[in-house]
Amino acid sequence: MINIESRTAKIVRFIFLGIWLIISLFPLYWIVITSLKPAGAVFRYPLQYWPAQFSLENYINIFSKAMFGRFMINSLIVALAAGVIATLISLLASYVLARFEFRNKTAVLMAFLVTQMIPAFIALGPLYLMMVKLKLVDNLLGLMLIYIAVCIPFSTIMLRGFFANIPDALEEAAMIDGCSRIGALFRVVVPVMKPGIIAAFLFNFINCWNELFLSATLMNKDANKTIPTALNGFITTFNIDWGSMSAAAVLTILPTMLMFALASRHIIQGLTAGAIKG
Amino acid sequence: MVQKPLVRRRRPSSLAASSDGVPGEGSGVSRRRTFTARRGFIILAFFLPAALFVGVFTYYPIVSGAQMAFRRWQLSNLIDNPWVGFHNFVTIFTDPSFGTIALNTVIWVVASLVPQFIIGFALALWLRRRFRFRGLYQALVFFPWAISGFLIGILFRWMFNGEFGVINDILIKVGLIDKGIPWLADPTTAMVAVIVANVWYGVTFFAIIILAALQSVPEELFEAAALDGASRTRTLFAVTVPYIATTLALTVLLRVIWILNFPDIIWAMTGGGPANQTHIVTTWMITMTQNGNYGIASALGLIIVAILMVFSAFYLLAIRPNKRQIG
Amino acid sequence: MKFTRKVAAGVGVALACVTVLAGCSDDSGSGSGGTVTLQMVESLTNPARTTLLKSILSDFEKAHPTIKVELVSPPTDQADNKIQQMLQAGSGIDVLEVRDLTVGPFSTNKWLYDMTADMKDWAGWADFTDNAKAVSTTSGGTYFISSGFYGISLFYRKDLIQKAGFSEPPDSWDDLLTQATKIQGSAPNTYGYAFRGGKNGYTNITLAIEAYTADDIDLSNAYRLKNGSSMFADPRALAATKAYLNLFTNASPPSAVAWGYPEMVEGFSNGSVAFLLQDPEVIATLAQSTAITKEQWTTAPMPVGPTGKSIQPIATGGWGIAAASTHKPEAVKLIQYLSSADASLKFTQGNSMVPVIRGADKGDLYKTGPWQSYLTMNAAPTKYISASQPRGVSWWTDWGTKADADIQSVLINKMTPEQLLAGWDKYWTDKWASGAK
Repeated sequence: MINIESRTAKIVRFIFLGIWLIISLFPLYWIVITSLKPAGAVFRYPLQYWPAQFSLENYINIFSKAMFGRFMINSLIVALAAGVIATLISLLASYVLARFEFRNKTAVLMAFLVTQMIPAFIALGPLYLMMVKLKLVDNLLGLMLIYIAVCIPFSTIMLRGFFANIPDALEEAAMIDGCSRIGALFRVVVPVMKPGIIAAFLFNFINCWNELFLSATLMNKDANKTIPTALNGFITTFNIDWGSMSAAAVLTILPTMLMFALASRHIIQGLTAGAIKG
Repeated sequence: MVQKPLVRRRRPSSLAASSDGVPGEGSGVSRRRTFTARRGFIILAFFLPAALFVGVFTYYPIVSGAQMAFRRWQLSNLIDNPWVGFHNFVTIFTDPSFGTIALNTVIWVVASLVPQFIIGFALALWLRRRFRFRGLYQALVFFPWAISGFLIGILFRWMFNGEFGVINDILIKVGLIDKGIPWLADPTTAMVAVIVANVWYGVTFFAIIILAALQSVPEELFEAAALDGASRTRTLFAVTVPYIATTLALTVLLRVIWILNFPDIIWAMTGGGPANQTHIVTTWMITMTQNGNYGIASALGLIIVAILMVFSAFYLLAIRPNKRQIG
Repeated sequence: MKFTRKVAAGVGVALACVTVLAGCSDDSGSGSGGTVTLQMVESLTNPARTTLLKSILSDFEKAHPTIKVELVSPPTDQADNKIQQMLQAGSGIDVLEVRDLTVGPFSTNKWLYDMTADMKDWAGWADFTDNAKAVSTTSGGTYFISSGFYGISLFYRKDLIQKAGFSEPPDSWDDLLTQATKIQGSAPNTYGYAFRGGKNGYTNITLAIEAYTADDIDLSNAYRLKNGSSMFADPRALAATKAYLNLFTNASPPSAVAWGYPEMVEGFSNGSVAFLLQDPEVIATLAQSTAITKEQWTTAPMPVGPTGKSIQPIATGGWGIAAASTHKPEAVKLIQYLSSADASLKFTQGNSMVPVIRGADKGDLYKTGPWQSYLTMNAAPTKYISASQPRGVSWWTDWGTKADADIQSVLINKMTPEQLLAGWDKYWTDKWASGAK
């Protein structure tokens, strides 16, 4: 930056940033504190902002009374596999969309965009019947296939933006050096696009990790449930046990938050390169 | 802005227009236009997986779900599903709750979007300068983006709890209120509560995208502006904003679509209550599905798609001349 | 091309993962070696009940080594949707929990198997109470065998009413209002009544209206008076509604506008509310409360109206078989087992429901603690009158949604009690006039 920030401007800036930091973190703080209170203390009055006594009771509960470990593994499998596969497929598709001209390309893009406008609820019934026919109901593979399809449009559009910022001279040079087109794509372009690909994968992973309605529709047995479906069950089954709920919430947030924290530099770098192209 | 923009360059990017306009084209142009069998094969092979997935698992179910909108399709009798034309749509539009729901949907989108945008923009502007621990700060502040809407709903439902909620407790301690407000029990405060939750969640998205866009503004533009003696505010509006205008516009469009299609927070916090006063179109659709009124739910879905498509078209038309002016 | 190979290898691994997953989760339908796997889905799920049911099922599996039962337990408020979806798809479901609410639509859609022929010579019928037999064989066939009854009673805090200066729990709705009002606010975060303003809130207000009009209620349709008009049109209904709404204004936590089942039970079980109108299954839940001890609470019969009577609506659920099931003989065996005296008693007692087995309510369990009120009610059938609400009609869920929204509108002053009752009267009168079922 050229012009030097004035002292007051700097103070105002840091006050604002400080306030927003508190606002951002407080809900997280509160859910962590709630999860660490012993049963009963959650409903004690006055509220305790720092529990008189910490307890892991709630965490033990969700692993012993509900199969929370299993839910986490299921979510991890589905989100990881769907995230990777969707990102790969989108990479190929976005490459074509960015580098080639063909008839109906605008229509294809529109078709992808429109999927973002359609409420998932309209498709739930038919999807269920289709999965029944494919014998993929109550099956992690079935859920994964659907998640891949859900992820593809947005990550294709997103990745297409990144391609646009990479000159095709790069691949052409590689192809002249004897690479095949695929070789050029993965050898030369992908490394340059790493931040963008990480951003797309993360986006896909988080979406799959958090998805509720499809999973709640397609999964039946406890052994096949993903975390959001299980959480949904926690809140609607008999008493709302805020202690256990909070413990489950903390464990649900933790992995994505960590991933996000580790990769946030890449995401911004990636988005800076591609910005969003809608 | 009365002044002539200082910038002539424009970031190429567009939504509906096809993907040309890549910077540094030229060398590739001739090759791109020639169509050979080999190129056709590559296009097909690269694109097929995506097309298959989206076609089979998205479009097929959507289309077969959409036809339910024109049939009587109710849980109480699923054997007999005659075509009823637009009857389901008529039922929706004549429902006494329809006015409230439509209004709520607009309030939900606008009242969530505007603060998200303003705070997100401010945050991005203030994060553009490097400072110590900026990376850590970003990681801490941007994390709401990684949480599911449903979970955020649960989190805020707990904080807005009328009896044991921490928000009441803080407001009482600060002296703003004397006794706890039953937030989710009153339509107005419930709407405030769900919007607060949504703002908290959505600021991050704007902040990230805008920050990314800001960092893509070339340094030399600022130098030029500084040489011209432009003030900071003027630089912001004359250089920065026009440069990232397209990104801003598209981000807003995307958010409108997403917020409208985002029942999770409301569903987890109020379920549309009390008295259907916090329903938006998408939560209403869930309620209809749960009551077994599949035909109506499907018709609602089509209405949402129609509204969003019309909105997007108008929006894109509206931002187009704007772009020309800048460029 | 090292890079290409790397990518190819990566894709290969991903695909292998997918195949493995497909392989290991292929467990639908019947297993190998002559073993039959039954898929069973429950509806009124709660964790304690699921555990109990699983232990009964494992007893069944021990007795029938060639049959395995896989229990699916969706969250209660989505369970019937889930069940309906599975029935519609005709797969993944053999035995299911059918409720008096769902038997109508499910049998209309021909999703349920009529067990009449299989059950004709079943010895277990001899142990069933007349009521249990009757509900299991109505709706034109034997679509489910009742597993127990749900009846409402008034849960109350002994310590709180004593502190407020009352020696007896409330007998009538008026008493309830008086006591709850006195207790409300007597200590920080102490409330009188766990008002049901949220989901299924209409079930409680209709109890009050029925109690006020109890003298004239049509016992076969507890929403109707003997003269054929709906009970909502009666002037006594207005008095009942106003009294009931006073409970909210004077004696309930304000956020109870949105309280459904979980919040009410939670409010009572965390010790902040003194009165709760609920099903007996809550007894089991409250026994696990960490905030209130068994000495602090018990139950009383449901409150009566001004003429000293109340209507006890009978709700029930039970086990049925999906029409699409390919293992019907085994499913029948399972249901006969679940309905046999021993298993049924274990289930109703463990889950604190009113039993279907003859003479079971004479057992010791029902003479003690929170159960006494059920005995009291059973012993006074002219004061606590049993009647059936029209729960089997096809528009029942639709009615529930509408009625709940209307009550909330009244609570937030967007509708008057008069408008509420007029609307409900019109709703039911129109439905009955149209001849729909």
